[in-house]
Amino acid sequence: MGPRMSAAGLTTPGRPSPAGRRRRGTTGAELARWGFLLALGLFFLLPQLAMARFAFQNIPVATLTLGTLTDSWSLRRLGEALTEPGLWEAAQVSVTLAVLAIVLNLALLLPLAVLAEIRAPRLRPVLTGVTLLPWVIPPIALVVGVAATFRTIAPWFLSSTLSLVPFYALWAMPFTYRALDAGLRAINARTLVEAAQSLGASMPTVLLRVIVPNMSASIVAASGLTAATVLGEFAFASLLLKETLPTYLVVYQRQAPQAGMALALALLLLTTLALGAVVQLLRRRGLGVTTTGI
Amino acid sequence: MATIEMTAVRKEFGTTVALADLHLRVESGELVALLGPSGCGKTTALRLLAGFERPDAGRILVDDQDVTTVPPKDRRFGMVFQEYSLFPNLTARQNVEFGLKVRRTGAKEIAATVDRLLEVTRLETHASKFPHQMSGGQKQRVALARAIATEPRLLLLDEPLSALDAQVREHLREEIRRLQQEVGVTTVFVTHDQHEAMAVADRVAVMRDGVLEQIDPPRTLWSRPATAFVAGFVGTVNRLSATRRAAAWHVLGGPVTVADEGLSADAIGTGRATAVVRPEQLEVRALTPHEAAGSAPARVRSVSFLGAFTRVVLTHPGEDMITADVLGADAQDLRTGDPVAVSVRSTAGAVVLQ
Repeated sequence: MGPRMSAAGLTTPGRPSPAGRRRRGTTGAELARWGFLLALGLFFLLPQLAMARFAFQNIPVATLTLGTLTDSWSLRRLGEALTEPGLWEAAQVSVTLAVLAIVLNLALLLPLAVLAEIRAPRLRPVLTGVTLLPWVIPPIALVVGVAATFRTIAPWFLSSTLSLVPFYALWAMPFTYRALDAGLRAINARTLVEAAQSLGASMPTVLLRVIVPNMSASIVAASGLTAATVLGEFAFASLLLKETLPTYLVVYQRQAPQAGMALALALLLLTTLALGAVVQLLRRRGLGVTTTGI
Repeated sequence: MATIEMTAVRKEFGTTVALADLHLRVESGELVALLGPSGCGKTTALRLLAGFERPDAGRILVDDQDVTTVPPKDRRFGMVFQEYSLFPNLTARQNVEFGLKVRRTGAKEIAATVDRLLEVTRLETHASKFPHQMSGGQKQRVALARAIATEPRLLLLDEPLSALDAQVREHLREEIRRLQQEVGVTTVFVTHDQHEAMAVADRVAVMRDGVLEQIDPPRTLWSRPATAFVAGFVGTVNRLSATRRAAAWHVLGGPVTVADEGLSADAIGTGRATAVVRPEQLEVRALTPHEAAGSAPARVRSVSFLGAFTRVVLTHPGEDMITADVLGADAQDLRTGDPVAVSVRSTAGAVVLQ
């Protein structure tokens, strides 16, 4: 057998075989993938690391160099931030607002999404468009418009911190609707409803015993996204002169920059862990969280 | 058990007529299969029966009681869907219990009924499994048990086997028939598979373009199709020219026994008709070169071994393509291009003329 009839088939000496080319191509693609992931990781992690160093390293800011990376880490500033009474008041307000916004959003959007799916699937694209409107209108326009209206018809409404709830519910609507809509499509809601009805179930029974339990993952996703939106929202609260966690953080950070940063990082970590725990819990129950369409 | 009747039922979706003046009566305890190609209106008919759609005209009667506007939950019908539609958050047992709990049946009765149904459907060992832990066949058996748990007046099956593989489909088909006969529930079974329809149904209703073409027991449908569409849809048929000579009708040059019904006055007058001949009614014999010489015989176009028989497609000088099913060794020596003689078997029974 000559060199042209090697085990690899009709290969010419000196030229890479197709398999070799494929291997090289694969290696190249893998390198590119890892490179991209590394770049993405650095893009997210480097600012967090910089924040962490600023907040938790007990050395002058001017000395924060590579050589001092491991020097004097301490949770002292976080401790200082956590002992501020204003923090807990603001956190309580934000959590209350988040819970109320979640309840309002689900009460409005869950029946709407179910009805659109079962009775009028052709309305779905319209609803998808309509639910995006809150993001088209800038918060300032929304606040000014709504404030002007309520000042004349119900001035007491804007004086309460709870006046933020409808704004937050509206602001989180694009997330919530999409998470619910994706969940409904994933469970093939229309057939489930028909199956339950053929077994004698009324519409409220269908909703409570079939649709909601099977959409728990989507409902959790929708609630998590609403909560995250509310806990991080600054513009509405600031424009309506309310003190929530984000507005408190901005003010506190001006007074104590490093303690404020420590607090912000701790909140970020806490939110991530909480969402991760919920997702894990749902996975264990065989329910995947979906936010398709967002 | 109940008698179901659809009278002059019409349903349109926009400009499409899904059902045009449908008359269908299903006797108590009977299993009727609605058979037809996609878009023929069979699923629409089933959804109208279930109450998921309202007819534009006509009435639906259950034991002579008008249920046309009764909502699905109050009809006391059971339904099995093509894609199982089990509740994913409930186990097999809880799925079967669902309808009974909704109807506020007593706990003891629920337990007894569910145990019996899980046993009948051979699901005892899978009772605590969730739908995602079960195979397609098991899921459909749960769906069947769930549908009959409430002792429905009518059982509706919407292509219940189409998502399953061939072996499971055949097994479950027999199981559905056994269960239906055991329970004695009046059943409407929608399918586009003629073998499935013929195997399970007491009567098969063939539909096309929203119209019921023929409803008859499977044997009648097979041997005496009312229209060319039915003949073509229920199995393979050859449409061959028939001529009347002396007192007998002749097909492929030989005399045949003819079914009396369905022959038009025109055919009787002219002595020419179209014979609907099934592949198994034909006989194929290889010709020797000597026999083939000096004539234009039929020739073999293709030979396909199908297990119990061999399907031979022929080109015939006087007809279009002819399909014949040849049993066992008779087809062993047939090759593409071979000259053959084809005729209607003497034992073929009556041939339908149109």
